Amino acid sequence: MKTIRETRSKMKRTGTILALTMLGAILLALVSPVAFGQKASDPPFKVKLDFNRWHDVPDLYADFQRLQAAFPRFLEFKSIGKSYEGRDLMVLTINNPETGPEMSKAAMYIEANVHGNEIQGAEVCLYTAWYLMENYGRLDDVTRLVNERVFYIIPTVNPDGRQYFMETPSGVSARSGHVPVDDDGDWLVDEDKPDDLNGNGIIEQIRKYVPGKGNYRINRASPNMLEPVPFGETGDYILLGREGLDNDGDGFVDEDNFGEYDGNRNWAADWQPNYIQRGAMDYPFQLPEAKAVNDFLTAHPNVAGVQSYHNSGGMILRGPGAEAAGDYPMSDARFYDELGQNGERVLPFYRYLVIWSGLYTVHGGFIDWTNDGLGIISFSNELWSGEQYFTSPNLKEQQQNPSSPIAPNVSRYFFDKYLEFGQEYQPWKKFTHPQFGEVEIGGAWRKFQGRVPPRFMSEELCHRNMAFTLYQADEMPMIKMGETNVEKVGGDVYRVFVNFTNPKVAPTIMARAAQNNVVRPDLLTLEGKNAEVIAASFIDNKELYKIKPSVTQLIDQKDLKRILVRNGQAGRTTRTVMYLVKGSGAITVIYDSVKGGQASKTINLQ
Amino acid sequence: MRRFLARFPRPAATLPVLLVLGLALTAGPAAGQETPRYHAEMTSVLQTLAGAHKTIARLESIGKTRGGRDIWALEIANPAGVPPAKRPALLVAANFEGDHLVGSEIALSVAGFLLENYPGDPDVKQRLDNSTIYIIPRVNPDGAEGYFAPIKTGRRTNATPRDDDNDGRVDEDGPEDLNGDGFITVMRVKAAGGEYMIDPDEPRLMKKADPKKGETGAYKIFWEGIDRDKDGFIGEDPIGGTDLNRNFMHDYPYYKPDAGRYMVSEKESQALMAWIIAHRNVAAILTFGESDNLIAPPAGGRMGSSRELDLVRFADAGNALAQTVGMIQAGDGVGPGFGRFTGGEFSFEMTGDFPRQTRQQQAQPAAQEGGRFRMPDRKAPTTVNTADIEYFRTVSEKYVELTGIRQPLYVREPQGAFFQYGYFQFGVPSFSTPGFGLATAESTGQRRMGMTPPGAGAGGEPGPQAQAGQAGRQEPRTGGTTATVVVSGGGQEIIQIMQGGRGGEMARAFQGQAGAAAESGLVTAPGVDRQILRWMDAEKVDGFIKWAKFNHPDLGEVEIGGFKPYAVTNPSAAKIAELGASHTKFVLYLASLFPKVKIAKLEVLNHGGGIFRIKAEVENIGFLPTALAHAVSARAVRPTMVQLQVKPEAILSGNAKTNYIQTLSGSGSGRGKFEWLIRAGAGDVVALKVVSEKGGTDTAKVTLK
Repeated sequence: MKTIRETRSKMKRTGTILALTMLGAILLALVSPVAFGQKASDPPFKVKLDFNRWHDVPDLYADFQRLQAAFPRFLEFKSIGKSYEGRDLMVLTINNPETGPEMSKAAMYIEANVHGNEIQGAEVCLYTAWYLMENYGRLDDVTRLVNERVFYIIPTVNPDGRQYFMETPSGVSARSGHVPVDDDGDWLVDEDKPDDLNGNGIIEQIRKYVPGKGNYRINRASPNMLEPVPFGETGDYILLGREGLDNDGDGFVDEDNFGEYDGNRNWAADWQPNYIQRGAMDYPFQLPEAKAVNDFLTAHPNVAGVQSYHNSGGMILRGPGAEAAGDYPMSDARFYDELGQNGERVLPFYRYLVIWSGLYTVHGGFIDWTNDGLGIISFSNELWSGEQYFTSPNLKEQQQNPSSPIAPNVSRYFFDKYLEFGQEYQPWKKFTHPQFGEVEIGGAWRKFQGRVPPRFMSEELCHRNMAFTLYQADEMPMIKMGETNVEKVGGDVYRVFVNFTNPKVAPTIMARAAQNNVVRPDLLTLEGKNAEVIAASFIDNKELYKIKPSVTQLIDQKDLKRILVRNGQAGRTTRTVMYLVKGSGAITVIYDSVKGGQASKTINLQ
Repeated sequence: MRRFLARFPRPAATLPVLLVLGLALTAGPAAGQETPRYHAEMTSVLQTLAGAHKTIARLESIGKTRGGRDIWALEIANPAGVPPAKRPALLVAANFEGDHLVGSEIALSVAGFLLENYPGDPDVKQRLDNSTIYIIPRVNPDGAEGYFAPIKTGRRTNATPRDDDNDGRVDEDGPEDLNGDGFITVMRVKAAGGEYMIDPDEPRLMKKADPKKGETGAYKIFWEGIDRDKDGFIGEDPIGGTDLNRNFMHDYPYYKPDAGRYMVSEKESQALMAWIIAHRNVAAILTFGESDNLIAPPAGGRMGSSRELDLVRFADAGNALAQTVGMIQAGDGVGPGFGRFTGGEFSFEMTGDFPRQTRQQQAQPAAQEGGRFRMPDRKAPTTVNTADIEYFRTVSEKYVELTGIRQPLYVREPQGAFFQYGYFQFGVPSFSTPGFGLATAESTGQRRMGMTPPGAGAGGEPGPQAQAGQAGRQEPRTGGTTATVVVSGGGQEIIQIMQGGRGGEMARAFQGQAGAAAESGLVTAPGVDRQILRWMDAEKVDGFIKWAKFNHPDLGEVEIGGFKPYAVTNPSAAKIAELGASHTKFVLYLASLFPKVKIAKLEVLNHGGGIFRIKAEVENIGFLPTALAHAVSARAVRPTMVQLQVKPEAILSGNAKTNYIQTLSGSGSGRGKFEWLIRAGAGDVVALKVVSEKGGTDTAKVTLK
């Protein structure tokens, strides 16, 4: 609420000035939505951003900088390293310093765009930052989330790929990063890239009209579609491949494009060499982008949740990436399932799946590393499902009819014509080819369809995916102190019961992370000048213990003033520690977890 | 330094002697030399050596360690002609393990001999004129420093701080030289319930008591030291670090303390990887390290068995559970006594609470029904390709012949070792040898680990691991046998019941302990302690410190003794010259094996009308194939490119302008044949170019007439 009040008082002041002076367009732009906002349904947004377009890298970073300038108290936008081509990898930190330093709070890490062509995750990142800031102080849930958690947002972890995607013709793979690779083994790197011969921004197909002598024909229902002729028949067209030139004169066309590796196979869990996992590069973290992100995550052990946005297909993915890795321990799978299944409820047409069984096998993927190697609960959403083009049950039913204009194989022509007004499809046109002579060129799609939603549906995608990620952020572990009791046993020996609670879905340490020893154990410390711990035990249920006192777990550790809890505190559980303490005065019991924060309580022995 | 060089006679003065290289090299150190020793000052030694041979030696730092030390690479080649970076090359790298100094000394000797004997020795001249030899003598300079420290710990790792027991405190509990003799050895403590006993056949040694033979243990074994962090373990978190020969990608031991946080996590390994992928001309690799595939070649594709010290394994075993302290039961209450020491998974299994289908298990068949094509999950092989084994065997035979070494003293399993990367991922013949050993192969019977593999049942039947051939590893989910693993936990006795048949989770949860138990000797055969002691006695090596009483502040009366650090992994410095000489011969042999592509035939036939037929044959006249069989399947080596230097549209028929040969076998036995019909003008000159990653380049021209 603080923010709102500040804004309103500022508005009153500036309103008076405005009546008398011409302070210019800047103030007007800032104030007028606020003035109307009081009556309109819209909240008085401080920063106007568009979510119906796609941002190139400078554009994207500029919007983040506008946010940072508008919300300097919470936001920091800084570089964590450079891409191969020298672009900054920018991270936005959202932290309320008044509720504690970053490291004392669980953090949610959000990234996007590791594949250069999978762009819309960056817009989700931008939307998330914008939404959290604009609604801080307005919506209680958002305010609480921002106060309790830290967010690290890297809108593009492959800025080279993103910029390449934005700048180059449609039809060129921009998935890879840009470290040069010799794809064809001729000792030259990236020497034969695609060529847009007619300069229209699309790498199109080339066909030649050869009436009655070809092996392709036009689809009767959809004249834009070319299809191979059935056996025994002839068609009117032959296909001559795609636009392109043999730039290096080796007899092959476009055989050595940029990069051609996969930035999402260069991570250190189940990394496999290139011949097992295509695109893996020579060793983990060889890519400067992967190394910078890993260094960042290593330096921020408070990160408890990861979301890596990809496209497309409508999936909420979790690891493992390969069957041989074995499924997650049951207790880990349990909270993943709960989060993922709720995700399906806020993301219609998205399915919660395991990567290897639901998508395909991935070795050395990012979220396998963050789960197995860094102990972070990690999801990867595949943004946008083609099913969202025709969402009503009635239209779904129509699609079952193969002669319907929205049957699956032709539906996107229909959609492009009637909803996007022909923005994305490039029809065939006559063209004089330098090598093939008179041909037709076309039959290709522009890049902002298929894997990305149409622009008018983009904001919904942003909001729903953000909602799932904020839900994940909210369910990260959080250690809280429960009730305490002190009982005198005899002499100066006391029995002290302390309850610790983790009310969230996620544990402070995942079972897999505990097995791999990749997260520092939780530390249960007891401080007290005049106190000696004789014994300590865990009790699962205090009520049960009162009736059956034998149900304890004696903590078999040498130093009972500093107890290691290696597998942490499970989600939505309360655990009681029972100390037998000899001494007097005040003792302080502290539960310190890396990913779930800290809690402490001071108790008097009496 | 000057004295170091004095070991090598000046070439001008000694040319006649050196003409027969073998004679000169086996002659050993001449009178008047410095006392042989291990070199702390590697940088100045190398700089002086390179400085004295500027024309053929180039010294380059490929990276700096955490301790600020340079990792040096010495390039040795006569730079005239084809640039050294484009010639087939041999990489010699050593001292990955901080306690394996002898490797760096042999590598240094090899460098010295090569530089001193060029161009006088014809073999040396032939190799340095036509190929390149890279020598990286000390990959782990921070680790090697331990050898020169006042207290010798035998540290193998580099200097990266590491919380080995993951207790939130880094490097807080290393061993300590309690008796002040300058060596970290082990302590044996009389204790009821101890697992170890004095070996009745060799009272200097300890063995694990075998209850099946009615033996009762009476001792516990610890590293020399005190429990500095009062956690119940002694010396469980020493200074450092990462074992660099466990830090590479092939068969990487994930999440093991010495293996580093992840593959290639270290500055040293990163520097070496960056270097080698920029040097694809490296056609063979020789490493000196604590694993071996030269003295004993891979049999049936598998590495030889490891031979490690029991005393060390026993001392380590006591600390294995330090990594699991605080693994407590989570979740709902279960019956008393159940799951006290287990992870949360076990309790679910036990209570039957969760025979529950997870969502992804439901989704999986649906995904398959949906007809989504799924590539079969490929796995990288872990054994040498059968088609390549003969090359390893041939080289091994030559190695044994030239060095006379028939049995390594001490070898370790090569998980994550660099030389394994060299073959399995870089795709070249790649070797490792400790560089010294026994001149006679002594049968150790069941002492050799591979013969009684881990996982073997009580009857000694080889378990699944025997097939895997990787002794000392315990794979999860290996059948339903029940093993009881008893491990001492620093004054605490903890009994783990492992039920391997329960599916992977339990097994995985206790993989650490199981591995540790394997090291403790319970499920593995005894080590090589007795053989090493015999060798030390025979060679008069002062390598074993006799047990002596000591009053320990916490444990009371103990005895301290055992193998001296470095004494098992390094021979006496007096042996270096001889080892350097024999390994130089081996290096020259290795550098003679490289593939060499050659255009064997290039013919033209004029068909008239401006049409010419060109026929070409390409062969490999070297010994090795242009790519090993595994390199072909792993696509690790670029195929040999054969390219006709004409415009693509000039080719009417026949082969493409650019062609690739996956591999050409050596000794001229394999030929690539090509044929083109081209349109050209009479009198035109057409060139054919052949480029091989490991076998050089050849070009031929023909005039069309």
